Amino acid sequence: MGVRVKRMRTTGMLLLAVPLLFLLVFFLHPLATVLVRSVTDAQGMPTFANYVRLFDDPGLPRAAMRSLVIGVATTLCTVSLGLCLAMALHRSRLPGKALIRTALLLPMLAPSLVLALGLVCLLGRNGLVHRLTGLPTDIYGFWGLLIANTLYGLPQVVIIVSAALARTPARHYDAAESMGATPWRQFLDVTIPRLRFALLAAAFLVFTETLTDFGSAVVVGGSYRVLAVEIYGEVVGQLDFAMGATLGVVLLAPALLSVWLARMARRRQDTGDASPGRTLVPARHPWRDVALGGISLLALLPLVGVVATVAYVSVVKLWPYDRTLTLANYMGGMPDGYGPVATSITMSLLAAGAGVLLVFALSAGLRRAPPFIAKPVQFIASLPAAVPGLVLGLGYVLAFNHGPLSGWLYGSVAIVAACSLFHYHAQAFLTMQTGMRQVPEALDDAVAVSGGSTFHVLRDAVWPFAAPAAISTFFYLFMRSMVTLSGVIFLVTPELGLASVTVMRLDENGFLAQAAAYAMCVVLASALALGAMRLLLHVLKDRRHVA
Amino acid sequence: MHLRIDDIAKAWSGHTVLDGVSFDAGENEFVCLLGPSGCGKTTLLRIVAGLTAADAGRVILGGRDISALPARERRMGLVFQAYSLFPDMTAAANVGYPMRLRRDAPAKIAARCSELLERVGLGGLGARFPDELSGGQQQRVALARALATEPAMLLLDEPLSALDPAIRGQLRSEIRLLQRALGIPTIMVTHDQEEALAMADTIVCMNRGRIEQTGSPRDLYERPRSRFVAEFIGRANLLPTAFVRDAIPGFLERRPPGDEATYELCLRPEDVVIENDPRGEAVIEDTVFLGNLARITLAWRGRKLLVEQPGRSALNRGELVSVDALRGAWVCA
Repeated sequence: MGVRVKRMRTTGMLLLAVPLLFLLVFFLHPLATVLVRSVTDAQGMPTFANYVRLFDDPGLPRAAMRSLVIGVATTLCTVSLGLCLAMALHRSRLPGKALIRTALLLPMLAPSLVLALGLVCLLGRNGLVHRLTGLPTDIYGFWGLLIANTLYGLPQVVIIVSAALARTPARHYDAAESMGATPWRQFLDVTIPRLRFALLAAAFLVFTETLTDFGSAVVVGGSYRVLAVEIYGEVVGQLDFAMGATLGVVLLAPALLSVWLARMARRRQDTGDASPGRTLVPARHPWRDVALGGISLLALLPLVGVVATVAYVSVVKLWPYDRTLTLANYMGGMPDGYGPVATSITMSLLAAGAGVLLVFALSAGLRRAPPFIAKPVQFIASLPAAVPGLVLGLGYVLAFNHGPLSGWLYGSVAIVAACSLFHYHAQAFLTMQTGMRQVPEALDDAVAVSGGSTFHVLRDAVWPFAAPAAISTFFYLFMRSMVTLSGVIFLVTPELGLASVTVMRLDENGFLAQAAAYAMCVVLASALALGAMRLLLHVLKDRRHVA
Repeated sequence: MHLRIDDIAKAWSGHTVLDGVSFDAGENEFVCLLGPSGCGKTTLLRIVAGLTAADAGRVILGGRDISALPARERRMGLVFQAYSLFPDMTAAANVGYPMRLRRDAPAKIAARCSELLERVGLGGLGARFPDELSGGQQQRVALARALATEPAMLLLDEPLSALDPAIRGQLRSEIRLLQRALGIPTIMVTHDQEEALAMADTIVCMNRGRIEQTGSPRDLYERPRSRFVAEFIGRANLLPTAFVRDAIPGFLERRPPGDEATYELCLRPEDVVIENDPRGEAVIEDTVFLGNLARITLAWRGRKLLVEQPGRSALNRGELVSVDALRGAWVCA
């Protein structure tokens, strides 16, 4: 074997080793800490006492049951509405599809609890509707939670289902049409079979998120306390870390299961045709469009209404009593001012920057790695998708508040960024890897015979194809980090505030207008980031000549 | 420069891809590695290029053992099937790439680039990006890039198989002309026997990791040594010894000694002569009109026989004909 081939291998290994080390320290280690903590007592001896205690507290089985009920209900609502919205976007002649797409962006720009916040402002006991009409509204509890979670999950379902719809070749519809199938039959026989796995994957995703998200649950859940809120209470309220860890493991189980099922589903997914052929133009069918349009309105009006309410509340003098318009909430009235927003942005930039580097190195290192290395690495890098942010955040507290690294990490922006980065690691890694798969192998070889090193391969062959993925990954991580709450909630300290956490604290203390103003700042920052990403990708697409 | 491939072996995870392969490529020679997909020809080319390490054997270039040399130091120009141009570099930048890696002077690079682009018929297109060029043009750029550093050898990995048939034919002769003009020894991998026949000085016909036969195109066509070569290159009627003894005994004289089943007679379709004969032993089953050629299927003494005649055939289905053969070659069954 040539010296050079060996050297290339070494560089490849190095590319893998660094991101793997980070995964080990900042993902597997805290995760393992949670697992260990749940089966040890205060002295560090192995015990199952924590799990036994779960059943002593009558509140916990009830909370678990509620989590399950709200999870199933949210999944059903979100998936059926999401299917209709995706159909409206891809299989109808409805005008204003751009509006639908824009409206669907809203939940992705804000922390999950902002929707709940808007819902409370709109339909709470003292909400806008009550103020204006005098109707006795009370949205707290099951229904509020269901609506908030459904609105939050919608865009993700639409994205997954849309991708599957776009993959269905037009000629299947041509074939069905030529054999005399009615539009409804075509929907049942052509559309639905090819959506099965997408729907399944979307359902699992929504179920997991609902089960593990606690932002909305804290704001609008009221006395309907779900499991995620119980964990928060155990850890933040009673500082019972052992119990928190045990509950975290309980939460981890269904999340792992659902991600595993989604993976199985994806493996069987029909990836569609390599050549999509003719683009599909939906036939004229007014009733279909009316129905889909109606459902889209039903789903999107509350969404826009809720976000608009938050925007409105943010410019009101003293919600809900004095509704004079003012910008005072943006000008101050907060002891820390915009400090938390600035911290959030710093943290998000750090997470995004470090994330892109790590994920790029990992994907690049995996390109030529033998399967016995590639497979386990692939698994570990994708595992964060199955770990709820709450569990990971808990792991961070347990792993890093004490021990050798705590001196540097405790209360630092870096630790929060790491938590956010590894919470969203799987999706970022997947995006980057998909980008890199487009690099033709001949290009690697062309660099090698031209006399280039691994560095030249990365710069001249890989980067042109990976650049769009890198941009997407950067902004994905940035936007997620801006809005994340469940993971970082345990990591903030009095000196280190984050925008999303501040929104929650302000809401807890009844400062709804300030909370709304803060939320709008996050939305604005995320929207700017999204705009910047689109612009960059567009410019790159104009300039680049990657097929 | 003379290239010697000496007893190269390679296995991928236990599966043998190359099994003791040896051949020589002389100065200025155009050698085609021909074989079906999976026969190991591309692996062999990559071993010559230094992109893949062989398990055993040596690659000797100009008397020097280069087996341990990395790809960059072998001075080989390599052209791939497709998608080997850097998408965000212009044609000229692509051609200049290996020179830039060598840190040649910019002025020298620019001059050489335009000279090479001129040479492959792309003068004036240097500023285009790959996606602004046709498939044929892209391959010309790839060829110019492969020649940029004045390589000791040119290695072509199915360079034409992703192109349209019309462009393929044109580029085929252009590559050959360029290779002759530069006097650069060249190895081309292909699975297209027509391409190999048209371009090669020497064809190395491979099957399942071994060389079946090496020789000039004419050699391989007229004197195939094995059934595989006879069938892979051109069309062949393969007749068992017993049949030949009954039907055309004249060919038995030149049969090498051996068991009844070791050899078969290979008759090329155009070497079979048929004539309208009411007392003939063969009957015409089918005729296919191919423009300049007629392809005729006969039933003769219980066997099917393929015959090709130049021009338009006057023969019709069901007619009786007499059969004779001009020449044939005995091949290992």
